[in-house]
Amino acid sequence: MTMSPHESADDKRGTGTVLSDMRVMIGSLTLANPILTASGTFAAGREYSDFVDLTRLGATTTKGVSAVPWEGNPGRRLDETASGMLNSIGLQNPGMEHFVRYDLAWLRDNAPELPVIVNVVGHRVPEYTAVIEYLEQAEGIAAYELNVSCPNVDAGGMAIGVDPAAAAKVTSACRALTKRPLIVKLTPNVTDITEVARAVEGAGADAVSLINTILGLSIDAHSRKLIFERAVAGLSGPAIKPVALRMVYEVARATDIPVIGMGGAATGTDVVEFMLAGATAVALGTANFTNPQATTDALDELIRYCEQQGVSAVTELIGAVRPAS
Amino acid sequence: MAKFLEDARILSNMNFAPDLWSLRLQAPRMAAAIKPGQFVKIDLGESGHILRRPLSVYQADLKAGEIELLYQVVGSGTRLMSAWRPGETRSLLGPLGMPWPVPEGTRRALLIGGGIGTAPLALLDQQLKADPAITVTMVQAAQTAERLVARGFFERTVDTWLCATDDGSAGACGLITVPLEELLATQHFDVAYVCGPEVMQAPVARLCAQHGLRCYVSLERRMACGIGACAGCVVKTTSGLKGVCMLGPIFDAEEVCWDDNVASRVR
Repeated sequence: MTMSPHESADDKRGTGTVLSDMRVMIGSLTLANPILTASGTFAAGREYSDFVDLTRLGATTTKGVSAVPWEGNPGRRLDETASGMLNSIGLQNPGMEHFVRYDLAWLRDNAPELPVIVNVVGHRVPEYTAVIEYLEQAEGIAAYELNVSCPNVDAGGMAIGVDPAAAAKVTSACRALTKRPLIVKLTPNVTDITEVARAVEGAGADAVSLINTILGLSIDAHSRKLIFERAVAGLSGPAIKPVALRMVYEVARATDIPVIGMGGAATGTDVVEFMLAGATAVALGTANFTNPQATTDALDELIRYCEQQGVSAVTELIGAVRPAS
Repeated sequence: MAKFLEDARILSNMNFAPDLWSLRLQAPRMAAAIKPGQFVKIDLGESGHILRRPLSVYQADLKAGEIELLYQVVGSGTRLMSAWRPGETRSLLGPLGMPWPVPEGTRRALLIGGGIGTAPLALLDQQLKADPAITVTMVQAAQTAERLVARGFFERTVDTWLCATDDGSAGACGLITVPLEELLATQHFDVAYVCGPEVMQAPVARLCAQHGLRCYVSLERRMACGIGACAGCVVKTTSGLKGVCMLGPIFDAEEVCWDDNVASRVR
């Protein structure tokens, strides 16, 4: 199922040649194809290596990394919903030192060609900058994604991402510390997502990624209790795809930086739709839970789509959606 | 220990007691790979339900290339499963989790099962009985006699079989801890294996601890990935949070923070 490292996608398809150019650019970073993994759904790749040849991904985005270990939220953390799921993980992670020593080291040893985007989390600006400062010393990082949009922590996360000024402040603080591409991950839980997108663009972000999960809530009718200790949780999966597509469409028109689309994308066709809406690259998230090889399945489907549709470069799809009539 | 996906053909899907079902699948790779205590996740094959359901394996027949899963209809996902027909195909993910450990020198093993949770003790029973030096005693509990899952199999294969039912329709009437307490007071065991609802596992684990008996429990949590990536299925242990899917589902009962965990279960 997983290909050995010396094989390429071409070998697998048996064509020997790539008919469509699948490369896309996020700032100064060139990716072999537009398929990424969404933070928090793919750990740091290793867990999926039985199912996915990691070197076939455009890039992987790691689970959120904080300056010190975070324990995450108590109580129940998951609830399936119609065509989706709610999570209240709370960014549990072992911290940046562990990340560099174990996860990044594993990726460098086992998938050295794979661009690694590190998702960075914090409660306050100095925590985000502490992570960036530390990771600047490490090799093998292609870009950072600032998570200012997690709905499952009390301070930081979404509290920053709903306020254009706060989002710009953390962006410029991190911008000052690195030349690596800086992506800011936006929350959909705002009235106008383009305001926040423009604010972080102005503060020096190289790209924006959207959407993080949508705030939801779950109740057990029998016990009459809330399912989650924090009451609210983050909704993801195919259920949120139309919302994500709409926001990608809006942000792509409101900014001049690349948009990384995500939110319910599960198949190659979904990837095409996000790109037509304006995304330069597309991350699969919750889909990895349903099908651990969703990413490479989607890549195969995207390649077939491009060949069948006569798309010579996948970048032709970006923002190319046409009006209904 | 590589994990894999396998398309499994449904051989039969039978209702054997109210809400309790047996699902037999043609899955030769999984049948050969699964170890006692490990589990699989099965795709519901319907786009409205995006999360695979984690299920323990009751029987694995290497020669026939079949596995059998027992499940209880508790929600919309398992209700959907109960409508599955022979000949249909579903995607299996596995083998997941760590197997039951068998300590060196084990001679007298005690199996303790409650409700549908009794199922994953069957493969362990077979493994233990393959060693002629090991004797197996089992205490099984359920609400009623007809809900004593796989009773025939266990009565046939273990050396001593006891049961308790809530309504007294078989064995002792009431909680499993009653016959268990008597047993532990009079007999010595090297290790106990427990699977069932956590409200049952917690007092059983306490009882084992009081008798200085090493005790392993099999826990369950709602799961998203099943492969250690999402941190959705954690339980509180004395050495921090641990994911049930990778570091479990089997835990040493001594390391489980029972009060925190049982309190956090919604149903």
